[in-house]
Amino acid sequence: MPLEILLPLVIFGIAGIAVLLHQLGLSAPTKFEDEAAAEAAWSREFPEDKATHVRLCRNKKAALIETPQGKGIVWAIGADTTARYLTGARIVPTSTGLRIDLPDVTAPHIALALKENEAAAWIKHLKEPA
Amino acid sequence: MSDVLTYPEVTQWAVPFFIAAILIELAWIVIKGRGGRYETRDALTSLIMGAGNVASSILLGFIAYGFFMALWAATPLDLGTSVWIVALCFVLDDLRYYWVHRFGHRIRWVWASHVNHHSSQHYNLTTALRQTWTGTFTFMMVVRAPLILLGFHPAMVLFCGGLNLIYQFWIHTEAIARMPRWFEAVMNTPSHHRVHHGRNPRYLDANYAGVFIIWDKIFGTFVPELKQEKVDYGLVRNLGTFNPVRVAFHEWLGIFRDVLQPGLSWRERLMYAVAPPGWSHDDTRDTSEQIKRKHLLKHPEDKGTPGFTELP
Repeated sequence: MPLEILLPLVIFGIAGIAVLLHQLGLSAPTKFEDEAAAEAAWSREFPEDKATHVRLCRNKKAALIETPQGKGIVWAIGADTTARYLTGARIVPTSTGLRIDLPDVTAPHIALALKENEAAAWIKHLKEPA
Repeated sequence: MSDVLTYPEVTQWAVPFFIAAILIELAWIVIKGRGGRYETRDALTSLIMGAGNVASSILLGFIAYGFFMALWAATPLDLGTSVWIVALCFVLDDLRYYWVHRFGHRIRWVWASHVNHHSSQHYNLTTALRQTWTGTFTFMMVVRAPLILLGFHPAMVLFCGGLNLIYQFWIHTEAIARMPRWFEAVMNTPSHHRVHHGRNPRYLDANYAGVFIIWDKIFGTFVPELKQEKVDYGLVRNLGTFNPVRVAFHEWLGIFRDVLQPGLSWRERLMYAVAPPGWSHDDTRDTSEQIKRKHLLKHPEDKGTPGFTELP
């Protein structure tokens, strides 16, 4: 196919589908219904590392997880979830909450929308030994 | 011997069909409220990966084609271009696809290229287009060498490969439950391929087929989709990013990081590149086989059932 046809087809095709999906309301991130849902999402990624404590953030899009192996985080990634341990993480306060930088190319930054007092509580909790 | 032979660039000509089919699937899901899920950023990443794959083929395709033409110049055989030869080429190229795909899941160097196709937690027609940008660097073009040396023209082999990929587009859907029994027995179908995209221990390393599911049945890698076990799509450790560059290159970076870590023997460095994904020198990670074994320790009742039959 000539490039002058292929290129606009691909560009407008991708852009059109993305706009349509957004207009259909399919961009909203998932939320954890409760601590049990966050724990289940953690267990989906780390089935052998049982959560001993779950701290769900108020907007329900992330939760801090404690396990005998260390602290971790489970969070919404689009309509789905993923999880990581916080080993080597850098916690940076932002105007909207916290940013967690992980030494992990597959999950380099996690932006958490937290109220001011909630962010402070998370930082305090993260500094406590596991 | 015919050196100048051209076939249409079928994967490029299929782009309008891909877009139309995605819109139809999306409409079906939205109207019926079942048959799959879509999410904007996930779909956008998949589509950008697809576009990048086409760009990469245009930019790097000459490497594989040059290699194939060198083989073509060397072989004394020429099977011609009859319809039957094209059909035979299609079937044999599908066998080639099975093995390249199997290597893609069992050799980390090849997995580094293929992993992106499995990195979505969704399973819809956009997932089909989440294709590699780095396939050339796996050197899997060598698996096509026997076909060309046997006398199939490189252009025909690539044409059949393109048709194979187009066939595989429509099987990336949850909107179709099961095809007729005879079709499920011979052909790769949405049901068979859903299994292939599963991260459930039962479904790992199964159903590598492109077009004909018979290869999995012949080589012992077939696992049927079980009603009692819904497929959980994605990677064993799901990505925390939609950035297409990270999706395309993360496993390559992982290999280089592992290979270059201090204190390893040369064998261990090599194993980080060529052993099955999940291999580690200190046993801190799990391969799919170890994941299956651990699952059986917790669920001994699954022993001997599909997906767990090869484990002692």
